[in-house]
Amino acid sequence: MSGPVAERSPPLPRRPALALPTGRELVRRVAPPGIALGLVGAALWLSGEPGGSRLALSLTFGALFGVVLQRSRFCFYCQWRDFLVAGDPRGLLGILAALAAGLAGYAVVLGAWMPDPGGTRLPPDAHIGPVGPVLLLAGAVFGAGMAISGSCISAHLYRLGEGSPTAPFALVGTGLGFVLGFATWNPLYLVSVADAPVIWLPRHLGYAGYLGLALAVLAFLAWPLMKRLPDPVAPNLCRGSDPLRALFSGRWPVWLGGLAVGAIGTLAYLRVGPLGVTAEIGGRARQAAGAAGLLPARLEGLDTFRGCATAIREALLTPNGLFVAGLVLASFVAALASGQFQPARPRSGHAIRGLLGGLFLGWGAMTGLGCSVGTLLSGIMAGALSGWVFGVAMFAGAGGTLWLGRRTGLLT
Amino acid sequence: MPRLSTSLLAILVGVSAPGAALAAQEPPTPQQTAGARTEAKASPLVSTEWLEKNLDAKGLRIVEVSVEPGVFERGHIPGAQNVVWHTDLVETVSRDIASREKFTALARRLGIDKDTTVVLYGDNNNWFAAWGAWVLAQYGLVDNVKLLDGGRKKWEAEKRPLDTRSAEVAASSFAAPAPSPAFRARFADVLAVAKRERDEQILDIRSPDEFSGKVIAPPGVQELAIRAGHIPGSVNVPWAKAVNPDGTLKSPAELKTLYAAAGIDGSKPIITSCRIGERSSHSWFVLSRVLGYPVRNYDGSWTEYGNAVGVPVVNLAGTVWGGK
Repeated sequence: MSGPVAERSPPLPRRPALALPTGRELVRRVAPPGIALGLVGAALWLSGEPGGSRLALSLTFGALFGVVLQRSRFCFYCQWRDFLVAGDPRGLLGILAALAAGLAGYAVVLGAWMPDPGGTRLPPDAHIGPVGPVLLLAGAVFGAGMAISGSCISAHLYRLGEGSPTAPFALVGTGLGFVLGFATWNPLYLVSVADAPVIWLPRHLGYAGYLGLALAVLAFLAWPLMKRLPDPVAPNLCRGSDPLRALFSGRWPVWLGGLAVGAIGTLAYLRVGPLGVTAEIGGRARQAAGAAGLLPARLEGLDTFRGCATAIREALLTPNGLFVAGLVLASFVAALASGQFQPARPRSGHAIRGLLGGLFLGWGAMTGLGCSVGTLLSGIMAGALSGWVFGVAMFAGAGGTLWLGRRTGLLT
Repeated sequence: MPRLSTSLLAILVGVSAPGAALAAQEPPTPQQTAGARTEAKASPLVSTEWLEKNLDAKGLRIVEVSVEPGVFERGHIPGAQNVVWHTDLVETVSRDIASREKFTALARRLGIDKDTTVVLYGDNNNWFAAWGAWVLAQYGLVDNVKLLDGGRKKWEAEKRPLDTRSAEVAASSFAAPAPSPAFRARFADVLAVAKRERDEQILDIRSPDEFSGKVIAPPGVQELAIRAGHIPGSVNVPWAKAVNPDGTLKSPAELKTLYAAAGIDGSKPIITSCRIGERSSHSWFVLSRVLGYPVRNYDGSWTEYGNAVGVPVVNLAGTVWGGK
């Protein structure tokens, strides 16, 4: 099967091919600093515009996030698959590290913003969504989409920068999946979501209580994984003593990327908003579908929920749009600089799996009010029960689909 | 407890109450003849410069009322406290201003008493801060309540400092009186004017397209009316005409000229109205507090009047409800 098999973590960094034509080599040397300078210039220009500091920060955080995702291969599905198929727990430990770091960071921020979590209010724009059967379904469908298309939405975005032949189809599929999600939203809302409770755990446990409990759960999950760690081989970081080489060649260990994700998540929440990658995709899909007459006349209750809001965009540049743009461009820079930009001509398998998996991803992210980043990461960090529930359903959906796919020979 | 310690310091060095400083800040408001209201003793506006110098003044409470969530938390004027328009200043089930009990609890939490100077500010050109001033006025907090001229936008544009920590203030023992009807117009009042049974003026501050009936509401808003147009006898001066490009209010002389051109000069009682009564509280503040005219705000506005059965409506655009 020529499908986009989830990338495996290479034991050693790849060496750039020696036989690159000079033109390509030139691009490799000139393009990364050029695009990086362009990103810096764009951020500086935005920060000088009235009201542009938020946009500039979004672009910067997006770029940092893109570099971290690309360098550490922070991809929920790849890590889950590595564990299920190859028994390698390092990636999952990286995801747990991201959650632990972000939980601690959010607790500090939230404690300052809302000293008393006990009232009726929720922390501003934190991704705390309704918990019910629809969320479980959304998570499971999202997970299935990950298994079919080879990764989640954020990973498709950073892989777009690596020249993945599947990512463009998966992202188009995601947009279509959102439209499908809007079409099915009203019945789901009326039957179930409207009555689903929005549960913010710090309200019941306090900040310290939630942080303690969440870290204990993460430790409980990490314990069996730690036991399965492979014997330490010469780590990539120590290859040679050149720190630049460690940064730009090979991959970072996922735990390092995870810690960076937790830090970026906290800083982004402090200054701009919770991390999320689907608000822009969803908002634009809603705009396009509305213009094409494919939307229900009204989406009941949708805009009153927290999460990756898909409210119709009025401005050309939005914080989330710039975040996603920064992510893709910076991942492209990082991939190019490390010789991991390997564009491939898409074949029909890529297109089919991308579109179909993307459809599942989009439906799941719309119905679950966010994806593995917005609902799972940002939600859990903020103390949302919805983040945990979505996470469990997502990993179960991805694992189940992978199992079924391997049994039938459709997935590898 | 920075506020407490500076307050103590202020007492020790014998700094005078901020009211005196406030009075010196702007030219005195024009005298007003009609109506039985108290005249504003000092300016209802404070400048960003004055506020930055007086952040630690004794007896001053700074309150942000912004509509966008997270704006306050990610950086507010040092010492400011947050009021959420959607939950704190209104009833969330029935359509009404916050009840007496709810408002009492809010004012106590904010440490606001009858003699406290309150500076309100917010995003969106102070729309919601002005709504806050209007609610405070109904509960007896009128003359000591000021708007920060230019609001959040000007404070940020001038790169003045912001803080992300929450202020800790001592609660007050304020007890809200029954809301005064002097600041609020109800449906029956407006209908009486529309039917020419009462000689008052209605100032509709919506956009010209909403006023003419070309559109029922601005794009993207959920709360609509079944009919388009405006209340008979009302005049249209969009709220934004009262504001300079930097967000500050125009000078009293300019404001007088602006409204006089529409026939509003304070000689008759005025009712301000818009779609849900929130933009119109901005114009209510300008007319009542800055110009000293007798004004009530009609918070039912077009979403009440335009949905009412059997009332006269003017529809200049000729938009007809229903099918073709």
